[in-house]
Amino acid sequence: MTRTTAVLIGLFALIAAACVAFGAYFSYATLLNANRAAVEARFAITAQRIAGTAELASSLGIGLSSQQTLTELLQREARIDAAVTTIDVADEHDLVLFSSDPKRIGHGDSARAAATVARVIENDIGKRIGWVVVHYNPGVLAEGAEALARDLRVIALPTLIAAALATVAVGLLLAAGLKRAVRRAADPASWPAPARAALASADAAYAAATPVPPSTPALRIVAAPGADRPGAKS
Amino acid sequence: MIGLRGGISAAIVVILCAALGMIAWGAQQAAVRTIVPTIMAKADSVGRSAAALVETATQAGIPVDRLVGVKPYFEALIRQNEELAHMRLVRGGVVLWESGEIEGPDWPEVHTAVVARNGAPVATLVIAIDPRLVSEQVAAVLIDVAFIGVVALLIALELVALVVGTRGVTVLAAVEARVRALARGRLVLHQAGDAATDHLIAPIDRHMAALAQRHAAARTLAQARGDEAAVTALDAVAAKTGLGSTQAGANQAAAMVRPALFLFMLAEEFTRPFLPRYVQALAPPNLPFSADVAISLPIVAFMAAVALCQLPFAAASEWLGRRNGFVLGAALAACGYALSGLTGSYYVFLAARVVSAIGYALVFVSAQGHVVDRSAPNERAEGLAVFVRAIMVAALCGPPIGGVVADRLGGNVAFLFSAGLAGAALLLAAASLPRSVRRPHGHGLGLGDLKAAIQAPRLAPLLFGCAFPAKFILAALCFFLIPVALQRSGYSSAAVGRLQMIYPVIMVLAVPIFAGLADRYSARSFFVAAGGTLAGAGALLVAFGTTPLVLAGVLAVLGIGQAMSIAPQSALVADSARHVPGGHSAGVLGLFRLIERSGNALGPAAAGLMLGAFGFVTSMMSVGAIVVIGAAAFALSGRNTETTGPSSDAASEEASVQ
Repeated sequence: MTRTTAVLIGLFALIAAACVAFGAYFSYATLLNANRAAVEARFAITAQRIAGTAELASSLGIGLSSQQTLTELLQREARIDAAVTTIDVADEHDLVLFSSDPKRIGHGDSARAAATVARVIENDIGKRIGWVVVHYNPGVLAEGAEALARDLRVIALPTLIAAALATVAVGLLLAAGLKRAVRRAADPASWPAPARAALASADAAYAAATPVPPSTPALRIVAAPGADRPGAKS
Repeated sequence: MIGLRGGISAAIVVILCAALGMIAWGAQQAAVRTIVPTIMAKADSVGRSAAALVETATQAGIPVDRLVGVKPYFEALIRQNEELAHMRLVRGGVVLWESGEIEGPDWPEVHTAVVARNGAPVATLVIAIDPRLVSEQVAAVLIDVAFIGVVALLIALELVALVVGTRGVTVLAAVEARVRALARGRLVLHQAGDAATDHLIAPIDRHMAALAQRHAAARTLAQARGDEAAVTALDAVAAKTGLGSTQAGANQAAAMVRPALFLFMLAEEFTRPFLPRYVQALAPPNLPFSADVAISLPIVAFMAAVALCQLPFAAASEWLGRRNGFVLGAALAACGYALSGLTGSYYVFLAARVVSAIGYALVFVSAQGHVVDRSAPNERAEGLAVFVRAIMVAALCGPPIGGVVADRLGGNVAFLFSAGLAGAALLLAAASLPRSVRRPHGHGLGLGDLKAAIQAPRLAPLLFGCAFPAKFILAALCFFLIPVALQRSGYSSAAVGRLQMIYPVIMVLAVPIFAGLADRYSARSFFVAAGGTLAGAGALLVAFGTTPLVLAGVLAVLGIGQAMSIAPQSALVADSARHVPGGHSAGVLGLFRLIERSGNALGPAAAGLMLGAFGFVTSMMSVGAIVVIGAAAFALSGRNTETTGPSSDAASEEASVQ
């Protein structure tokens, strides 16, 4: 039983530690998503502003590809925030028409790149005529992720170790109690009070039912010293 | 007396609550240090953009105090960015333009200088941030973290159950049973098992055996001499102390299958939050049906295959043996999940989902059959309760974990995780379930049984008015419409998964309460009709919006409605089964399951068609209306006679499994 108990306590400590690690990792993943949402909200404002300007021009009859002033607007908006690397305006087929970085004009698949925030440009009847795509420095997200990981690691590692140790401590206490109880269970003189009372009633019924002295005296109750005192442990 | 296993399980709950509380505190601190500055940076970005606009105007020669449209521009910015409370343009301490309100003197502010072409300061743009909204954003993150804590705790409890249920702790269980019996004053014998020869247990068993032997001898002697008083006294002592009787061990059938079943169900629940997004990415543009139908089709194929396989697999599982059935089903499902994650073809993915569904159905009937085969009728409800709990806990834990895995590593990796979980369930079942006993003549249910069953009194309105719509709305809303709507609004799979937890949480908490109420007031029909009406009416909440909060409300009302109806509905089905002539009661339960599963299959199919044709809000409301009409039809069918059958609690275990 000692080996089983030790293995069991070890397994339970592992479970406790694993579940704390699980909770910490998934909390980290949740914070990471929240951080990404907060970071991208900042660039979404820029994208929204440019999309609004393009839609206004479109409503005045200027086609997206003819909105030449967009280049200057994109360059100005890209200069405002150091975390923005480039801003593109692409047509409905994802082909870049204008960009804060002239080398990107004519490129495709801008809206699906990593570290981007895209907003749709629609015409007056709600049809998609293009996209504004803000490319930002992925280091902004990485910095946040690193800070979050650092902050959580500081709290999670000691908590994980403490949870495992606490589980071991509780397990050892309970195992010691069980071991004591099982030793006492092997000796009727040390049985808990309800068992001794039951044995006494069995002995009494046996004595009353048997005219000759009992042949199994070993089972007669032998009161442990102090067992009958009030407050004695059972 | 609390044993080592029970004590340490309770201790783990307390320790984990404290530890996860610490993690939540750490997460809150991390959020304040990282996310709050990000929100400030957003305000700074808005400020610099607005300042650049003012600079452009001033550089064009317009004096800063003669600018036009500044106030409406500020108002528009505040409207678009809820964290911004107040904006003002200040020159030399004089406020030229301002908009919004500040309610506290210590609200954080962002200052941006407006400069002339030569760099000389012209004015300052000041943006005040509402700290309450920043706190709200941090609190929203903490709610998500709390959900994670609940999931971690539930998983810990399942793992504890897995360890406690293994054969390795038989000795410990035997020791605890003997010590516990003595602590209660019971001098009973214990069933001889593997642990009986243990050196700690043998002395206790010898004492009990000697006592029982002495008692039996004394009783025989007393009887022989006709001493009725002595016999009565000895019998009274035996009744009080348990002398001579053998304490039966607890039925372990459900405990044996629970860990493997939990892992297996977790594999499927994993896929719920990201499946629509994954299918959308996989579906080619040239399919002969709409994108919404393409997204719903794999869900429909899975549910339909499960529905169709359920009845024939009841016989197949008997023929194979329960363990073999479980292992084969888990192997099939694991192959299906692996193929789902590896293929880039929409049609192969569809086939893979059908393979997983076949495995799912076989595992389900085998696990259920294992519990039913190995428990006496009076133990069956308790055994099935353990079975249902494993499924519900998997439904609680799977979606949020699957969502996070899909977000972080991709949907294909999440499918491979599912394959790994199904594989682990296979190994666990092979190791923990008893050797299969094959019954070559297992006949399951035939069409004749179903035909006879449908003639059961008052069954048809219950099945078609309530049971079918209940699963129809669950699959349509929970597995298809709401995940698709959230995905299209830009929410992550993790967010979808957390929202999908609402329904099982409410079910786990509220089903026993409503079951008790329905029994106490003998109002099962009322609870079924009222629950159905409420569940359907909940979908109409989308008339007020489609924000996550409204959708959470829809799921909560759906959960409450179905928690009201599910147990009384199962009790009514069980009641009908008892009244079927010719021994076709199993047919009623089989028919009930078939109709429920059909609802599961048709829900996403109908939702996919409606979403493409009418849009999200109309589809949601139409599904809700179908359920309300079904409940009303049931209520009007005159099924208001209450009979005394099994309690709703017990019946629900028999008939309410997913």
